[in-house]
Amino acid sequence: MSTGPALFSILRQGQYLVASVHTALDDSQMLRLQGDLVEEVGRSRSRGIIIDVAALDVLDSFGTKTLGAIAEMARLRGATTVIVGIQPDVAFAMVQLGMGTGAVATALDLEEGLAFLDDTLALPSTVRHGQ
Amino acid sequence: MTATSAGVEGPPPEADELLALLRRVVGARVGGHPDAEDLVQEAYLRVLAASDRIDPGMTEAYAVTTARNLVASHWRQGDRFKRHQHRLVDLDEPDDPVRRMEGIEDQGAMARALATFTDDERELLVAHEVHGTPTAKLAAEQNSTAGAVAAKLHRLRARLRVEYLLAHENIDLPSDECRPVLVAVSLRDRRRQRETKAENHRLRCEVCQDLALRLEQQEPERDDFARIRIAVDADIVTARQKARELASALGFPGVDLTVIATAVSEMTRNIVRFAGEGQVEIELVNGEAPGRRGVQVIVRDAGPGIPDIEAAMRDGYSTYHGLGLGLPGARRLMDDFELVTADGRGTTITMTKWQQGAKK
Repeated sequence: MSTGPALFSILRQGQYLVASVHTALDDSQMLRLQGDLVEEVGRSRSRGIIIDVAALDVLDSFGTKTLGAIAEMARLRGATTVIVGIQPDVAFAMVQLGMGTGAVATALDLEEGLAFLDDTLALPSTVRHGQ
Repeated sequence: MTATSAGVEGPPPEADELLALLRRVVGARVGGHPDAEDLVQEAYLRVLAASDRIDPGMTEAYAVTTARNLVASHWRQGDRFKRHQHRLVDLDEPDDPVRRMEGIEDQGAMARALATFTDDERELLVAHEVHGTPTAKLAAEQNSTAGAVAAKLHRLRARLRVEYLLAHENIDLPSDECRPVLVAVSLRDRRRQRETKAENHRLRCEVCQDLALRLEQQEPERDDFARIRIAVDADIVTARQKARELASALGFPGVDLTVIATAVSEMTRNIVRFAGEGQVEIELVNGEAPGRRGVQVIVRDAGPGIPDIEAAMRDGYSTYHGLGLGLPGARRLMDDFELVTADGRGTTITMTKWQQGAKK
């Protein structure tokens, strides 16, 4: 685990957590992001997570796998995850390499990500209120 | 100036007076240098030899000019000596007793190093490096060309650097492969390094790796080549960023830069996961077609090797719960991809991305 300053930030926005990656992350830092996020979901009782990866230089197999793991762990903790900001170059390389984020939701940018979470999370809660 | 210099018709200065003048001129320029008196005597002899050509009353002026010229050429020789010294070893004046002791040890090591050369080789080295004989003159003596002599000196110096280091550290090389590898490293000759399998050897031989790193310490930074040691996670990021940086110098479009960086990231991660340590060399290379350039990435380790290459090259094969995309994925990302592995002897992957290269 890296012990230096975090190269990402996790900010609370209402019921959501917004995780912004500031620069290229190595594997330990990816894992640190994973640990911090999963913990923060419980602490702030968040329903949704937006991970902004626009500043990541590459999304290789490890990075992709870790994002998938974060989404799955967050789901088990009751939160929905959406990845935003995958750059066109990175998307191209990911497909060439032979992977996608698969089951993890993606959106173009932060705005779309927020809209996605609003849509996804609004329906069940409305149903619950309506009962 | 003495009174005599003013009189045009005055008698020539006496010998003592002339010597005193020369000592002042030389002394002002070289101070208490051990060669000062030699220079004075040399200048005096030249003035005497030329006395019948010197106009009356001009002896002093002639002496002063001669002395100045001698000092200047003395400096030039010293300067040439100094300029060439670094090629042997750093021989800065030791300024404290400990360093002076080291200096004495240095000389012993140098003598032992020189003892490994043939008489001819030693003579050539000493003539050029110590006496400062120009290559052109050495070439004439040997019926050779200055270029050939310079090349030979270059090789001898590279060998001397190695032998000196070995003698100085009292190192016995563990195998027969070591010496040619170290000489190739010292020569900074990539072709020779390939021939001697220098990179692979260095990953296996700790002694050589240590020595090679020291021989490379003075290696100038190159903007078309980089070697990065891979041992921890952070090195993966360093390697892929360096690959991106070098490739961008060739004007690759952004998408290719990301593709190259992704391939480097995948392959260097294999080192960290499976081999523990290794290295990546990134080099800008020329293709067969004229003007076609590319980025070649050589990822090397001396780890366990890949037991089943066919399986490893298949999509979805993974030994550590990864996505099993590393090798086949990297092959898709790059234009050329070659994998050499031997059980217990490590893995070398050579992959190249060409400018406007056609995808495989």
